[in-house]
Amino acid sequence: MLPSELLAVWKRKGDIWPRYARATEDSLEVANSLINAYKDHVGEKKSVLKAFASELEDKGYEYRFVRGLAYLLDRKGTFKCNEGINPVELRRRIFQATEELGLATTPERRRRIVETVASELKVRSETVDEFLYADLDSELVLEEFEPLAPDELLKEYNLSLTQTLLFDSTELNFTASGNWQRIFYAVKRLGLIYEVYKDGRFWVKIDGPASLFKLTRRYGTATAKLLPTIIANPEWTVEAKILWRYTNEICRFKLESWKHRAMLKSPQQPKVSYDSVVEQDFAEQFQGLKTGWQLKREPEPVPAGKQVIIPDFSLEKESVKVYMEIVGFWTLEYLLRKMEKLKKVEANMLVAVNENLACEKLANLEKNAQLNIIYYHDKIPLAPVLRYLEGAFQTVQTRQTGLLKSLSVIFTEPFVNYEEFAARIGVSTEAVKEALTEKPPEGYTAMSDGLVRRDKLEQIRRKIEEQLGPTGRLPLPDAIRIIESEGVADATKSLEALGYKINWHGINAEKAEVAKL
Amino acid sequence: MIRLCFNKGTILLRGEVGTPYGKWDPRVECYRIKAMHYWDALAYLKESKLAFQDDVPNLPPIQQLNSTVELRPYQKEALDRWRHANMRGILILPTAAGKTYVALKAIGLLRTQTFIVVPTLDLIDQWRKRVAEHLNTEAGAVGGGENTVRMITVSTYDSAYLQAETLGNKFMLIVFDEVHHLASPSYMQIAEMYIAPYRMGLTATYERSDERHSLLPRLVGDPVYTVGVEELAGEHLSPYTYEKMFVELTPDEQRAYDDEMATFRLYLREKGIVLRSAEDFQKFIMVTGRDHRAREALLARNRALKIALNSDAKLGLLGRQLEANRNEKTLIFTLHNDLVYTISRRFLIPAITYQTPREERREILENFRKGEYKAVVTSQVLDEGVDVPDASAGYILSGTGSTREYIQRLGRILRKVEGKRAKLVEFVSKETVEVGISRRRRHKKATED
Repeated sequence: MLPSELLAVWKRKGDIWPRYARATEDSLEVANSLINAYKDHVGEKKSVLKAFASELEDKGYEYRFVRGLAYLLDRKGTFKCNEGINPVELRRRIFQATEELGLATTPERRRRIVETVASELKVRSETVDEFLYADLDSELVLEEFEPLAPDELLKEYNLSLTQTLLFDSTELNFTASGNWQRIFYAVKRLGLIYEVYKDGRFWVKIDGPASLFKLTRRYGTATAKLLPTIIANPEWTVEAKILWRYTNEICRFKLESWKHRAMLKSPQQPKVSYDSVVEQDFAEQFQGLKTGWQLKREPEPVPAGKQVIIPDFSLEKESVKVYMEIVGFWTLEYLLRKMEKLKKVEANMLVAVNENLACEKLANLEKNAQLNIIYYHDKIPLAPVLRYLEGAFQTVQTRQTGLLKSLSVIFTEPFVNYEEFAARIGVSTEAVKEALTEKPPEGYTAMSDGLVRRDKLEQIRRKIEEQLGPTGRLPLPDAIRIIESEGVADATKSLEALGYKINWHGINAEKAEVAKL
Repeated sequence: MIRLCFNKGTILLRGEVGTPYGKWDPRVECYRIKAMHYWDALAYLKESKLAFQDDVPNLPPIQQLNSTVELRPYQKEALDRWRHANMRGILILPTAAGKTYVALKAIGLLRTQTFIVVPTLDLIDQWRKRVAEHLNTEAGAVGGGENTVRMITVSTYDSAYLQAETLGNKFMLIVFDEVHHLASPSYMQIAEMYIAPYRMGLTATYERSDERHSLLPRLVGDPVYTVGVEELAGEHLSPYTYEKMFVELTPDEQRAYDDEMATFRLYLREKGIVLRSAEDFQKFIMVTGRDHRAREALLARNRALKIALNSDAKLGLLGRQLEANRNEKTLIFTLHNDLVYTISRRFLIPAITYQTPREERREILENFRKGEYKAVVTSQVLDEGVDVPDASAGYILSGTGSTREYIQRLGRILRKVEGKRAKLVEFVSKETVEVGISRRRRHKKATED
């Protein structure tokens, strides 16, 4: 982050954006020569480096750009005061000598004062002059410098510029592809307040407590500190409102991963790690079972009103999703607060609570609980989890079936495949099958894998009739061929629906025949 | 159950009830109230006869105070006016008139948790010393690396602003030293984010050129007492003289000055720009962010100004003045730090700038007070508040056109000591823009503020 006077922006019609450094030959050259200057001037004073930067400015490079880079490089170096004489102690002696000998209003008197102190310290007069203010910032000496590549410096500069612009932000909205636990943890730690909403994607709005009363830049610094955590993701969009300090107008600022990612330094996305052995054990054991449920660690946040819950796991099967939260250490108050929040969640939430670490009598909890709680000691027992999952699946399915029955869906296509239809409307196949088989829509016949339109069936009947011949019989393989050529898979069911029977001669289907009932 | 709690510089009202003093916060689904309206909200709940739980105040323990403050008549009147205004309001007294004592007396009377907000670290030290001397208790400090909260705590404006989230519910009385600072957009949030019902503002320079002082009554209370330098000079403040000394730039300086100014003026003429007011100038500076040539022109003007402000001729004159007045306790003021160090190196005078280590600052000021150092050179850091009772000569080598800065610098040498005659001398480079700057700063007389 840079001092605000080094912030360079473009502004147009209410939009604002930093003047990012592009990796052009010119910019890279400036970065490179500054990096080299720092590398080559280890052991020299800060003022020398400042002079070098001024030269670049005089050559016509944008002064805020040059100073911004120098500012970042200063932070990559360690500066220290030349060793030898302690300047504070030296000044004390000089000022005391001045009191005795009088202010140095003439060169002679000055020389006398300096010589007096020099002889006390057994150094030369020049040394006294040299060390008198050796601890001033401009006099400090570059001791060490950690060089970096020019394009890296530009990326760091661009990130700093962005953060500096955000100092003046009154509000930030963002969406990101992951890293949620870290993001929300940072939001909390920085004293910010979030609100979530859906606008196509899952969006988060960030400001602070006092933002309720007026537009304020108060939370700008904290917001700027949050940015790296957001952009550590592969994908993100960030939109901020900037209260531009020089004109007091509100400007829009937008940052998008596809456009800006390459030019900003982004922190490494940390690997997903488990908070506890309990979580890790559970994940491994569950995945070992092959239950048909997909387990996902750190799923997307679940809205609870305007707030969110970030569960430890999500478990998904077909369209049914269950979230799971593992609570290690807890107090009754904590759990009650959590429940308040969970009541607002419109999703299946399973909470595993550690009985060993409980601070309160569980009896108290049971009374208040409207939650799906599983108790555990050292390991989370899988049986109750699976029981809950199956239950949730059944419930969802029953609910969906009920829902489907109450809906009057009008079909027009010749075939309706249950599985495809279920996927299209986001319910389970079983629910669709159950609902449609029990009460098939007008003009359709229910098969094992889907619905067939009656006129389609009639078409099949005509074709079979044509081939029945004088015997009134048709080999089963021929009938199946006709039915399948019409795109219907369930031949047995179709024949049954059309009023045919199958005469079996042994178990060989090749020898079976179809005949009218 | 209705419950009030402090939340990061605001109050949350939980329960099935609203209040006219807060706003519904959909983000947390309850009412949120500005900390400064806490008492109004409290009164509303009480009048409505509602049962509620109040978890807002988190006050440090009361310590024994032993107040030994004696007030002068005008200080007593100032305090009485403040008490009659429900212990809210602003007192406008000239520097060196003993504003601190009025506040210390008020703390002694209220015996309540008090937060004192001051502009600089030096002033933290000074207030703590005063509290120890006159109330016989140790004050805590927030700022400059310290963070101890006690019944009486002194903080800088910066720390009070940054830590409002955690300090806002810890005090009943808040004293704003140099209260004109509070009107800035960020600092005014200090007043809003602290619950303290009793508030006192102290200043010698109430009015701000940006007119924002009109916001202060809402935050602290109305100005309840005003007295000027002229009314107190002689009896309560030292009598003083003021003198302006002109210097001529050296021939080299004059040539460089003329060249730079010509560059600047040429650009303005070409572009048809007229700079009449501070706003005009501000707009011009914004242009320089986009236009390379405008920036060149601005830099040329700044270089010219620097030549005038820091002229070598001034150093020669200063040397002669110091030699002729060697028994005066002297403060030297400049605008730029560079000049502070040039003077310090040349005359071997102790310097105080923002870069001076805190311990060394304490030591220099202490030695200056004791008379072990005769002179101190400083830029703007000593403008405010720091008390050097018997400093008798002030030299302004350079400054801005601000009346406030002038009054404050004058205040540094006005503290009453028997037999002292203070003198303030301003050095101005002849036939340069500095003449105008100097005129501007004395345009309003100190007493009229």
